[in-house]
Amino acid sequence: MKLKIEKNKILFVMLIGIGLVFSACHRDNNSTGQAYFPDMSYSYAFETYGSSPNFSDSIQMLMPVEGTIPREMIPYQFGKTFQEQVRAGQELVNPYTPDEAVMKRGKEQYTIFCSNCHGVSGKGDGYLVTSKLFTAQPVSLLSDYVQSKPDGEIFHVITLGSLSTLMGAHGSQIKPEDRWKIVTYVKNGLK
Amino acid sequence: MRKKIFIIPVFFVFFLFSLIDTSAQNVAPPEWQQCMACHALGKKLIGPDLVGITDRRSEEWIYKFIRNSQEMIQAGDPIAVQVWEEHNKIPMTNFDFTDDQIKGILDFIKAYDPSQPVEIAQAPTTVSDTVEKAETAEEAELDQFLYKHEKYGPGNTRPTFIVFLILLIIAVADLAFIKFIRAHFIHYIVILVSIFVMGEIVYVEAKALGRQEGYSPDQPVWFSHKVHAGQNHIDCLYCHSTAMESKSAGIPGINVCMNCHNVVKSGKITGTEEIAKVVEAWNTGKPIEWVRVHNLPDHVFFSHAQHVNAGKRQCQECHGPVEKMDRIVQVENLGMGWCIHCHRRTPVQFKENSFYQEYTRFKEKMESGEMSRVTVDDIGGNNCQTCHY
Repeated sequence: MKLKIEKNKILFVMLIGIGLVFSACHRDNNSTGQAYFPDMSYSYAFETYGSSPNFSDSIQMLMPVEGTIPREMIPYQFGKTFQEQVRAGQELVNPYTPDEAVMKRGKEQYTIFCSNCHGVSGKGDGYLVTSKLFTAQPVSLLSDYVQSKPDGEIFHVITLGSLSTLMGAHGSQIKPEDRWKIVTYVKNGLK
Repeated sequence: MRKKIFIIPVFFVFFLFSLIDTSAQNVAPPEWQQCMACHALGKKLIGPDLVGITDRRSEEWIYKFIRNSQEMIQAGDPIAVQVWEEHNKIPMTNFDFTDDQIKGILDFIKAYDPSQPVEIAQAPTTVSDTVEKAETAEEAELDQFLYKHEKYGPGNTRPTFIVFLILLIIAVADLAFIKFIRAHFIHYIVILVSIFVMGEIVYVEAKALGRQEGYSPDQPVWFSHKVHAGQNHIDCLYCHSTAMESKSAGIPGINVCMNCHNVVKSGKITGTEEIAKVVEAWNTGKPIEWVRVHNLPDHVFFSHAQHVNAGKRQCQECHGPVEKMDRIVQVENLGMGWCIHCHRRTPVQFKENSFYQEYTRFKEKMESGEMSRVTVDDIGGNNCQTCHY
């Protein structure tokens, strides 16, 4: 009889061991886990970045219909050629004067969007350039070439990118007001 | 013996074909991609037509001009000045190419055959292990961090639960009916341990319902925030530019990737493969289907603009050390308790904050010393209808 008890003890210890091994498994990193009331957690309406079965390419976030523009939006009127760039310089007027608030916002936005390549100083010594990750050398914003350009032309280059396409278009990331503030900062704040 | 003789001409034909193949195409060095932005062969773009450039200019002149054209123009080199004036005075970007790289480009231009298409050679993959080694200390820190957070997430607890349930049933059955084991203390121990373990599992699982702490899905592109935001010092807002203004922080469009990756085609860790996926998506217009990690239930309203712009919170406070993560992991549980806790202890930043300029009563109370600080809770941040409506 004594022997039987010991057998059961061994079995018992083994089962606990198996249980502990199983409990050590982690949840699958691709699984979001369970939700209570999934209908309240996951939207029935199609969400911006999601996919939608209603469209053939299943993209939920559609482009505007050709020839239409969103309300209150003024589309950018200049193309990406040298002549158009010069025309932008002649026709676009910077609505801001270099006062303190504009310069502060301009510097903030410049640091986020421009300093990666053009550098905090504007000399074209941003980290991506000095670390040789980005192999093209950007123009120094302190050079006469840039400083002598009208504000509109700098605005045009920020919006559509440089003619060489080595600088990409930043119009989708920076709002027009902020682009003008960056232009104001580039013209008046960089030293 | 006969067979072997037969094979030789077949090989020879293949060999000939392979010869024709390579000689028929213009294989450009990878650097040509950058020249291509402004120069073409056979026509003028922004910069001059480069066909026959090696006959027109001396090699030394070309090397100097590629590296720093503005210096030559300022020094008054007559040809450089003339070229500059002919092309609308647009300065050429300086390229820090090695002698071999420039030689490769010039050789390609010399051998250019206008009747054949140009194919750009793949840049050699440079996967450097030095980067990974250098950051082992940092990585260890992150591993510890992740481990700490994963530990509280439930594992796959179902098998354990079933095992202890069976044990419990056996123990009760044996105690009441079968009476196989005489020593009753064994039954009691098994029953107590089973109930304790099962109760613990029920508690842990119930606590994790609707939480996805530790969620770290596979993404379609091996994109590393550690490389971009950490090592390359790119600001979070460069890509997630709507976080200041919008409810959503925004998934950057591929055009944002292409701001850099029109030039950068080879990554430090992944080589060319992963960046090629992005370039392909850009060329075909087919979006990359990123998997969303941080997701609040549909019945919760959350706005990034309010927290980042008015609240002056840092991204890392909710998203963890993203700049140290190769693969994004959700480190906070994003539960209601977590929200409320932060709202209770976080003081509102009234200083230089135009969003709160109307809150004069609170400011007066703080000045008079009636309140030592004003938290989000005090200004109504924890009202039900602030987030649920």
